[in-house]
Amino acid sequence: MSKVMFRRLRFLLMIVLCLFFILGGRLAYLQIYQHEYYMFRAEENRFTKMPIPASRGKVLDQDGSELITNKPGFGVFLVDLDEGHDPQTLSFLADMLDMEKEEIKQAIHENRYTRYRPVHLKNVDHDTMAKISENRWQLHGVNIEVEPVRYYPYEEAGAHLMGFLSQAPPSDYFVDKWEQEGYNYREGDLVGQQGIEESWEAYLRGIDGEQLIETNSIGQAIDFLDREEPVPGNNLHLTLDIGLQEEIMNILEGKIAELHDDDNDYADRASAVAINTKNGAIKAMASYPSYDPNTVKDDIGELSDDHRFPMVNFALNGAYPVGSAYKMVTAAAALETGEVTESSRHNCTGSYSAVGTTMSCHSTHGRLDLRHAIAASCNIYFYKTGLDTGIDNLAHYTREMNLGKRTGFVDIPGETEGNVASREYKEEKYGERWYQAETMSAAIGQTYHRFTPLQLAAYTSIIANNGDHYRPFMVDKVESNEGEIIMESEPEILRQADITQQTFDIIQEGMLQVTAENRGTASHQFNDFPVEVAGKTGSVQIARGSNGIPPHSLFVAYAPFDDPEIALAVVIEHGGYGAESAAPVARDILEEYFQEEVEEEEENSDD
Amino acid sequence: MINYKLLKNFDLPLFLLSLLLAGYGLVVIYSATHVMDIPESFFFVRRQAMWLGAGVVGVFLLISIDYINLSSWARYIYMLSLVLLGAVLVMGQGADVQRWINLGFIDIQPSEYAKLALIIVLARVLSEKESELATNFWMMVPTLFYTALPMGLVFLQPDLGTAMVFVIILLGLLYIAGVNFKYILGLVAAAIAAFPFFWVRLAEYQQLRLMSFLNPDLDPMGAGYQLMQSMIAIGSGGVWGKGLFDGTQVSLQFLPEQHTDFIFSVLGEELGFAGAIGLLVLFLLMIYRILLIGIHAKDSFGSLICSGVAVMFTFQVLVNVGMTMGIMPVTGLPLPFISYGGNSLLVNFLAVGMVLNVGMRRQKIQF
Repeated sequence: MSKVMFRRLRFLLMIVLCLFFILGGRLAYLQIYQHEYYMFRAEENRFTKMPIPASRGKVLDQDGSELITNKPGFGVFLVDLDEGHDPQTLSFLADMLDMEKEEIKQAIHENRYTRYRPVHLKNVDHDTMAKISENRWQLHGVNIEVEPVRYYPYEEAGAHLMGFLSQAPPSDYFVDKWEQEGYNYREGDLVGQQGIEESWEAYLRGIDGEQLIETNSIGQAIDFLDREEPVPGNNLHLTLDIGLQEEIMNILEGKIAELHDDDNDYADRASAVAINTKNGAIKAMASYPSYDPNTVKDDIGELSDDHRFPMVNFALNGAYPVGSAYKMVTAAAALETGEVTESSRHNCTGSYSAVGTTMSCHSTHGRLDLRHAIAASCNIYFYKTGLDTGIDNLAHYTREMNLGKRTGFVDIPGETEGNVASREYKEEKYGERWYQAETMSAAIGQTYHRFTPLQLAAYTSIIANNGDHYRPFMVDKVESNEGEIIMESEPEILRQADITQQTFDIIQEGMLQVTAENRGTASHQFNDFPVEVAGKTGSVQIARGSNGIPPHSLFVAYAPFDDPEIALAVVIEHGGYGAESAAPVARDILEEYFQEEVEEEEENSDD
Repeated sequence: MINYKLLKNFDLPLFLLSLLLAGYGLVVIYSATHVMDIPESFFFVRRQAMWLGAGVVGVFLLISIDYINLSSWARYIYMLSLVLLGAVLVMGQGADVQRWINLGFIDIQPSEYAKLALIIVLARVLSEKESELATNFWMMVPTLFYTALPMGLVFLQPDLGTAMVFVIILLGLLYIAGVNFKYILGLVAAAIAAFPFFWVRLAEYQQLRLMSFLNPDLDPMGAGYQLMQSMIAIGSGGVWGKGLFDGTQVSLQFLPEQHTDFIFSVLGEELGFAGAIGLLVLFLLMIYRILLIGIHAKDSFGSLICSGVAVMFTFQVLVNVGMTMGIMPVTGLPLPFISYGGNSLLVNFLAVGMVLNVGMRRQKIQF
């Protein structure tokens, strides 16, 4: 052998040694130095946690009637299928479920690495479930499981308050809110949208359980290990009286239908709010038209095309000028600033000229005092008084009455603020100075005032309570599935209006006259009502020069006069004068609320 | 025939090492395959054992004839291997890649045998021109053609790994035979310069494998996924392993090709650092014995045969084990003696047989 070959063979041996040394080093690095990391990865490979959904809490009204509950639905699942799945089963299923074959294939494909997890195809009704069950023998790998489906038994009656469930991504505001309340949103979660379902999501949803599964490389379950049971969601007890709520919805719907029959094609929306004056508990909050949360997913296209916006809660989010229903604010401002006393009189001649403009009244009232002016809703009296009091004082007392200002209601998201007519508002919004003529309009609730029906009910309640403003609330208590009270609402006085008792007495008496004395604008509607009601009509002409378009019809009321329990606001868009539509609706609602008294009265009159 | 004096020089340790490795392989193949969906749990083990038997018979047949004859027959052996490689392309079995010829009762994988043929023909050519190799560049040119032909045929299958084995055998033998080192460097430089041409000829999955070697996160469920699962298996084995038949990566079948290409991952997971280092030591001892025989061979042809076999084993161990640990690209090269695959096992034994043959006939004059 040549010397060169010998040397080179030796060198080759050295290279081989070095290469094996590198392999050994890499082996030591993986198996000793990084062992823990790879051990963790191996376990992670092996085990998967499958969530077990918690059952969502119920929502109940003040008497325990179920407003939102879960009813058994039937879910069609595919279990452990590979992608080359039997095409006959696919066609049959596609037919049965009214789905595209491609859609089903896609669902199987997406699940290819997590085959332990059944593929949820669709929820079906009882008939379809039965048909699939009958054909079970030819549907390999198709399972039907009972799955809770959210159910809203009162359908349209409480839709805006309840909301619904959807997989649409929630706003950041709610994601943050829920996180603070202990629920971390993950993309794709079925969550509440709007209403109680949205704002109380963290309380309602419960805590999902977990099933630890050993899986193989294609995600087939090999073994079921530890199981952590889900914690069911909490039940919410509302202050709502669903009987009253339903009746109000019927009354509103009936009134709109009646108006349509009278050739009023403009009237198509109405809302009403009823609050317990003693604590702020909301008894009813209705917005017509409404929708059915049970089918909203299928109806969404139609609903969003509807020009009446059925999915908007106008009781909470409709902001209106309120017309004469505002006059108690002008009265309070004038009394508090000393511009009038309870015996000050003005003469109504049917029209009034001042600051370069002439305004008219709906009637010629003659000489009248403040109580009478409220009862008869005399515009001239309030034009004059408003001018004397000035816009700045009017704006101040508007806020004292919590109008154009959020009421503090938070149980349902998104209360609209509205706005108060004032110099500052006009300057900011339009960059124009205030005209005195506008003060006259503002004094009867027109111009830039925009208040929500909820604010109107709260304002009426403040008058009834001699200034106490309770925070309106709808969730009375939260109860765990085991019956433990998690949270209970306490009545909360947010503010006391800085208005004297004497002023309240005068306003209240004026409001009583509205229904109780002949000259009152709503006396006709309430003449045989067994309970003393303090009320006020309002009519708002929306657009100047739009003759023929009926005004919005409003009515606010509280009762009983001596010991108030309930404050009510009714708004019927383009319903005509307040006394025409809103007042009779308010009477019907109060009749429902004071059912016992009404029946007693009827018995007495029969005798 | 084998006479007693020849048997005196039979390298028993090398033969035992090859049996030990093959036995080790059978155990790991059993562990890797008994969890699979197969007719009976010894299915793969039995087939591999039959090839092992054939290998042992092959060794004894091979050592009964003087290896000098291989030198005379070199060109015929080489030609036969080219014909078989060509036949694969014409009538090969396999969906995307063609590697086997089906003979009814048996599948033949010519690329395995072609490795031996190449070693023999190169050893012959280089040993003839040994004296001029250090000074004359043109003396090594014929070897390039001898290598390029089978390489091209294998490349068309396509089998990138085996093509690389041919290149390494060539480079190894040029070096050992005494070719001027500068010539070899020039050759390597030229090969690297030609790389882009080869790259565009690679199948997409091959490009992907090479790229995922550079960046395993590139394709977590594809090529990089295999690599990651293999490293998880080995790393999670630790010092002593999870125990034979107790690997979770193995039994849940997270490992790709766990009885062939990735069998080292199975071994690493179940038998740990101890079992894996043990295997590497066995290989090292084997290659050491082969090179030792090469050093003591009576002629250059014998030395080059041993060198070629040593380079082939070293390269396959390096690439296969390195691949499972993420320091070599994923190619389909089997781990000698261990990976399931009959042709490969038989060829490995025949290679050992050639080396044993060289060792037995190392004395120039027989009495």
